[in-house]
Amino acid sequence: MHPEITPAAVVLLGLLAVLLLHDWTSRRTRQRHLWVQAFVFVAGGVLIVFPEISRTLARSVGIGRGVDFVLYPLVIWLVRESLLTRRRRHEDEARFTEMVRALAVANAKIVTDTDPPRTP
Amino acid sequence: MRVAILMPAYDEGARLARTLVELAKHADDAEMTVFVVDDGSAERVVVDAACPLRVVLARHDVNLGQGAAIETARRLALDPRFGGAFDVYVTMDSDGQHRPEDVIALARAVVDGGADVALGDRFSGRSAVPASRRWLLRGARLFERLTTGLALSDAHNGLRAFGPRAIAELRLTQNRMAHATEITKRISRLSVVEVPVSVRYDDEVMAKGQKASGAVTVVVDLLQGFLFGGDRS
Repeated sequence: MHPEITPAAVVLLGLLAVLLLHDWTSRRTRQRHLWVQAFVFVAGGVLIVFPEISRTLARSVGIGRGVDFVLYPLVIWLVRESLLTRRRRHEDEARFTEMVRALAVANAKIVTDTDPPRTP
Repeated sequence: MRVAILMPAYDEGARLARTLVELAKHADDAEMTVFVVDDGSAERVVVDAACPLRVVLARHDVNLGQGAAIETARRLALDPRFGGAFDVYVTMDSDGQHRPEDVIALARAVVDGGADVALGDRFSGRSAVPASRRWLLRGARLFERLTTGLALSDAHNGLRAFGPRAIAELRLTQNRMAHATEITKRISRLSVVEVPVSVRYDDEVMAKGQKASGAVTVVVDLLQGFLFGGDRS
């Protein structure tokens, strides 16, 4: 099994390195998650340099192309991320609404009171 | 009869003032308090001090949507600071499309007729509903029948009256136009009557009204409410 260092592979490896560096320096993720991320990035790098690995793995589980073997889990992960983002936005909107409403209710005023209601 | 009017307002300008004056003219023996919620209008809503009705004004500092404004008005109407207990609570638009006579008719259906909820039915009334709007509302009616089980003649009429029991349970979580479907779901187990009403369709009302593209937004909002919570029904 020989490495395939194409121009596309160089660009993708560079992109992976930038993303990994960004995650490590931003320090928003917990240490344990950082190691998991590092593993995913390294695995990604290996699959880029040695595409034959993904081809072999794909064929062993009945998927025709190596690229599809990587693509399918990626699509599932993207859908999950998209749903999580939408849920967060939905929850944020609900909190924001309650905040705006609380202000509105607190500052509400009787602006005309020509006929105040009697006690029923 | 003590009536609370829940009135969302967004960029209505002079139309709101005209609506309040007309409402006062037809109030008859009804003792009305109007809860106006300015939903982040570009120019703040100002109510003329000479307005012959009791008006409570609140403002959302940002535009949230009609459903959110109705919910704010509902909470104000239940707030003891502003009277607290009314005989009936009526939602109506502030752009003059609803007639004050119909407001009284709906309120009577709840107070005298004993219904929990009275809904305006523009198709049985004398409304000249434009063809485009008619088709859109037919679609909405079918959608609500399928999703809520309640067969209504008019699915998205903003003119509705609620008795004290119904208004207490009507906690809206949908900020935008999907609130209409949410209301239908909430009231599906209560006693509901439909009352013929007339809706005015002038150029201004048509320009601000719901568009067919809005139907997609309604479905997406309902789906998000179902998936991510907030929809309690």
